[in-house]
Amino acid sequence: MRRDSVLGWQSLLAVVALLVAACSSPAAAPAPPAAAPTTAPAAAQPTTAPAAAQPTTAPAAATGDKVELRFAWWGSQDRHNRTIKVIELFQQQHPNISITYEFAGFTDYFTKMATYATGGNLPDLMQQDYATITQWNANGLLLPMDDYVNDNTINLKDVPKGSIDGGRINGKLIALNLGNNSQAMMLDVDAFQKAGIPLPPTTWTWDDFEKIATDIHTKLGINGGGANLDDIQMWKSLYLAYGEWGFSADGKGLGYTDDQKFVDYLKMLMRLQDSGAITNQQDEIASFRAGNVEALPIVSGKAAMQFLWSNQLVAAWTAAGDNRHFKLTMLPRPKDGKQAENYPKPSQFISITKGSKHPKEAAMFIDFMTNNIDANKILLGERGVPISPVVADAIKPLLTPAQVETQDYLGIVSKEASPLPPPDPAAQTNLGNNIYLPQLIDPVLLKQTPPEAAVAQYRKDATALLAAP
Amino acid sequence: MARVTEVGASGEIALEVRPRARSVPTARQRAWRRNLTGYLFIAPWLFAFLSFTAIPISASAFLAFTNYNVLSSSLNWIAFDNFSTMYQDQRFWRAVRATFLYAFTAVPLKLIFALGLAMLLNNARRGVYAYRAAYYAPSIVGASVAVAVVWREMFGKQGPINGVLGALGLPVTAWLGDPATAIWTVILLAVWEFGSPMLIFLAGLRQIPQEFYEAAAIDGAGVWRRFRSITLPLLTPLIFFNLVLQMIFGFTVFTAPFIISGGSGAPLDSVLLYSLYLYQKGFRDFQMGYAAAMAWVLLLVVACFTALIFRSSSSWVHYEADTEARQ
Repeated sequence: MRRDSVLGWQSLLAVVALLVAACSSPAAAPAPPAAAPTTAPAAAQPTTAPAAAQPTTAPAAATGDKVELRFAWWGSQDRHNRTIKVIELFQQQHPNISITYEFAGFTDYFTKMATYATGGNLPDLMQQDYATITQWNANGLLLPMDDYVNDNTINLKDVPKGSIDGGRINGKLIALNLGNNSQAMMLDVDAFQKAGIPLPPTTWTWDDFEKIATDIHTKLGINGGGANLDDIQMWKSLYLAYGEWGFSADGKGLGYTDDQKFVDYLKMLMRLQDSGAITNQQDEIASFRAGNVEALPIVSGKAAMQFLWSNQLVAAWTAAGDNRHFKLTMLPRPKDGKQAENYPKPSQFISITKGSKHPKEAAMFIDFMTNNIDANKILLGERGVPISPVVADAIKPLLTPAQVETQDYLGIVSKEASPLPPPDPAAQTNLGNNIYLPQLIDPVLLKQTPPEAAVAQYRKDATALLAAP
Repeated sequence: MARVTEVGASGEIALEVRPRARSVPTARQRAWRRNLTGYLFIAPWLFAFLSFTAIPISASAFLAFTNYNVLSSSLNWIAFDNFSTMYQDQRFWRAVRATFLYAFTAVPLKLIFALGLAMLLNNARRGVYAYRAAYYAPSIVGASVAVAVVWREMFGKQGPINGVLGALGLPVTAWLGDPATAIWTVILLAVWEFGSPMLIFLAGLRQIPQEFYEAAAIDGAGVWRRFRSITLPLLTPLIFFNLVLQMIFGFTVFTAPFIISGGSGAPLDSVLLYSLYLYQKGFRDFQMGYAAAMAWVLLLVVACFTALIFRSSSSWVHYEADTEARQ
């Protein structure tokens, strides 16, 4: 009996300890859905910062009219560290301005921002994306910056017009480009050497890609072509090579008529998946959809090529290790295409939100991020190549091989790429999440639906969605 | 207060009415003052209930008939359009199918495990308290994000489960990428949290008098017969309770499918449970009106099932009080 009661107390203690350690509510009480995104870290991403629910402040100096700004962005841990240092530098130089910041992974970021938008307390400064500025601007949430550009609070005198116009809607500058970017195929130079295959030229075709991926897989036994080849970007860019675009110019419909080209692309992906030359679809869904750059197969040497954006090279190379050698090249194009699939895209934008109480100070910070050499020596083009050529040259001597490669690559892209297509229509995220992936890509690549039927259905569904008011 | 001033010949009474002194309360005022303390005590709860439950629920009932899109400031009444869109929405029906599959597998399995283990642990052997704590522990942390993340890693392509299977020479698969297996990992997580219904069953088992079992054993009843004729009928109130509770949980579960599928419901929407789709529509695509409409449909469905269970309960739930009364 006595021994039992001792054990009983021990068990009770164990249960109490667990109770204290656990932070969940019992299953019968439904948690409000808004609580879930701020506590859920992006799964399987140990290096991405969990959505920081607690914004942190650096101390403000006692002098002058104290101004408080809030700034929110998304990115990898590397970007967070750099941006925080830049904020601290700005605060040192402007003791009367203090900036509270918060950051999140990409998937959680816009959910958080939308929640703020509903509550009417958006941060003064927020990062924006080419895919979202149309929608946010249409809802009147972004403040045009033209006044601050004209009175030189934001100095854009050195910046080429092409880098700025991406952020203009109806002539008003509502978002400033934080760095130029483009799609890229990342190549593992060592793997290519080992397989005895020369690096492809920038004008290579998808047939070349298929052959190289298969050869590498046969010779080295690794994944030749990498993951994420089913990304919605590939669908849009495919038609860019023919001088068209995924969407029509007014964003109310599809911009092309020949579905067969995308069917052929999907069939190529299926062939490569069957032979094991690219990631198979189940692994794609289970492991590589989350967008965690550090977890890509090329980083651990399990693949020789990988589709990504040029501003992700730095994070990927850092994770892979300094002893590796990578090169970026442009996306392959279809054999009968007439121009590149690549276009120079503003990687992210920074915007001032309409409700900001201190737009001038916010504009000062934007100018700081764009033009200040010391700040850019910290950022080192992590978001993309700086739009000001003065800044880009100033930081060049400090760049690591990864950053030099990114900058050189953008130089090539600016010469050989197709022109920037119009911003994505507001329905694009809806299209991507609800139709493109679950109803077209996954059923086709998991062999549940034949590609021709799925693509025809996609045309119907996408047109209906885009045409809706 | 009224005062009699004179009495007439045929008995009429003239009254002089003076206003009452302020300090003397009426009956109604006395009652109000008595209840005031009560109201003060529940004021915090009342405030929270109104602001976090009552008002949002009413707002959602209104929003279900609008096309509220979080970012814009305008709001249009569209009557039943949300519901007709729902009817034609392919992903909606996939979510319904996935949720029904989940609820009708996870709930019975969970209850069976709970009952089975409760019976095993219903004895006074040494160390049984430790086992009970151990089996209860998962359900404390169960509904949390942390466990779901761990679950996701465990079943990942490079995870420990595949490691063990590989070491034993068994086939290794991408559990979370294969449409046939992904939902079962979520169901398994639910069944793993059988601890709290188990404890309830345990309490119920403890209340069954041993004399019944002894009497039945003397009459020659075997283990199975004793279970079927004594244990089960006497446990029916608790089975009923657990069934209702677990069924509600089964229809509304969110954390596990959200984390395990990375928020997407992939592959092929096999893990797109109803609440997850609702969340996607409301917080990812910002179609709040549609999401609110979905929430009310869910409420109706769960209410129907609960009503069904309640209605049927009179035929299969035996309360001891009734039995005694009949004797």
